Amino acid sequence: MTDKRSPAERVAQLRLDEQTAARRRNILVVAAVVALVVVVTVVGLVVQGRRDSTGGPVSMTPTGVTSDYGVVLGAKDAPHKVVVYEDFQCPICNEFEKATSEKVQAAIKAGKISVEYRMVSFLDRVSKNAYSSRAANASLAVLHVAGPAAFQKFHTMLFENQPAEGTAGPDNAELVDDAVRAGADRGEVEKLIDDGAYDEWVANATDAMSQHGVNGTPSVSVDGVMAKSPAEGLDALLKVV
Amino acid sequence: MSRWIGLAARLVVGAVWVVAGTLKLPDPAATVRAVRAYQLLPEAVVPTIGHLLPVAEVVLGLLLLVGLLTRGAAVASTLLMLAFVIGISAAWARGLQIECGCFGGGGAAGLDADPTAAYPWDIARDLALAAASAWLVVRPRTPLALDSVLLAPLPQPERPTR
Repeated sequence: MTDKRSPAERVAQLRLDEQTAARRRNILVVAAVVALVVVVTVVGLVVQGRRDSTGGPVSMTPTGVTSDYGVVLGAKDAPHKVVVYEDFQCPICNEFEKATSEKVQAAIKAGKISVEYRMVSFLDRVSKNAYSSRAANASLAVLHVAGPAAFQKFHTMLFENQPAEGTAGPDNAELVDDAVRAGADRGEVEKLIDDGAYDEWVANATDAMSQHGVNGTPSVSVDGVMAKSPAEGLDALLKVV
Repeated sequence: MSRWIGLAARLVVGAVWVVAGTLKLPDPAATVRAVRAYQLLPEAVVPTIGHLLPVAEVVLGLLLLVGLLTRGAAVASTLLMLAFVIGISAAWARGLQIECGCFGGGGAAGLDADPTAAYPWDIARDLALAAASAWLVVRPRTPLALDSVLLAPLPQPERPTR
C-alpha cells in the first residue's frame, strides 16, 4: 500500500499528531497536579479538624459553674447582674480589674450585684508558656476544690501576676502555690493544675463566647445589656457598684 | 515587561497567602471564631470553613509562588480576596467591632483601640491583592514558572517570517 498523500500533507498530519499528543500530555499533567492539590487540601482540612478540640467530649467539669461557662460570685437575687468575659492574659482585662476589683468585691459583699465571670482563653499565642489557658484551668481547679470565695481571691492574684505580652507567666508550681494561698488544698489542686484538667472545658467556654457574638475581652454586660466597648462596660459597671 | 509584572504579582500575592495561612495554622479554633465573628455564614459550615481556610491559603500561595496552575490559582485568589473585601465591608457597614483575623488570631483580641479603624486599610490591601491576582488571570504566563517546565507549549500555527 502506497501513501498517496503529498509530502506537504504528510508534514501537516505529523504536525497535527504532535499537537494532539502535546495537548493530551498537558491535560494529564494538569489533572495530576489538580488531584495532588485536592488531596493535600483534604488532608490539611482533616488535620486541622482533629487539632481543634472545640466541642469534643469534656472529661472534667468543675463544680459550681453555670451552663454558660461562668462562675457566679454574689447573691443570686442581687438587684444587678453583671457578666464579664475575661482572659487572664489580656492586658485590658488587667486594667479593667485594677480599676474595678475593689469596688466590685465590696458591692458583691454588700449584696448590690452578682458577677458571673466567664473565663476564656484565646491569647496563648502571645504567651511564652500558655499562661492564658493554664491560668484559666487553674482558676477552675481552685473553684472546684475550694469554692467561689477562693476562686475570687485566686482570680485577683492571676491578674496581678499577669505576664507582659510575649513573655512567660508563672509556671504550674507557682500557680499551685498561689492556689494554696487562696485556700485550696495542695494535694487536690496540684493534680488538676498539672493535668490541665479543664483545658477542654475552657476551649468550649471560649467557643461559647464567640457563639454568643462576643468577640473580645473584657466584654461586660450589666443587667443583660452587653457594652459595645470595654470603656462603655467600665462605665456601666461603675454605675451599679 | 508585562511578563515581569506578572512575576512580581505572583510572588507578592503568593507570599501573602503563604504567610497569612501559616500564621493561622497553629490555632484552628481561633480561625473558626474569626470566621464566625463576621456573622455571614451559617453556623453549620463555620467550623469547616475555619479549618479549611488556612490550608487553602497555604496551598494557593505555594501554587502562585512556584507558578503552577497559575491561571486557576489566580482565579481562586481573586475570588477569595473579593470574598474577604465583602466580609470586611459587611462587618464595617453593620458596625461590628472585630479584628479581621487576616493574619491569624482575629475575632477576639484585646479591644484596646477601635478595631474598625483598620477596616479601610484591610479593604484597600485586599483590593490591591485582588487586582494583582486578576492580572494573572488575564496574563498567566510569567517567567520562572513551573507551568512552562511541566506543560509542553502547543506548537503554534506557523507565522510568516519576516
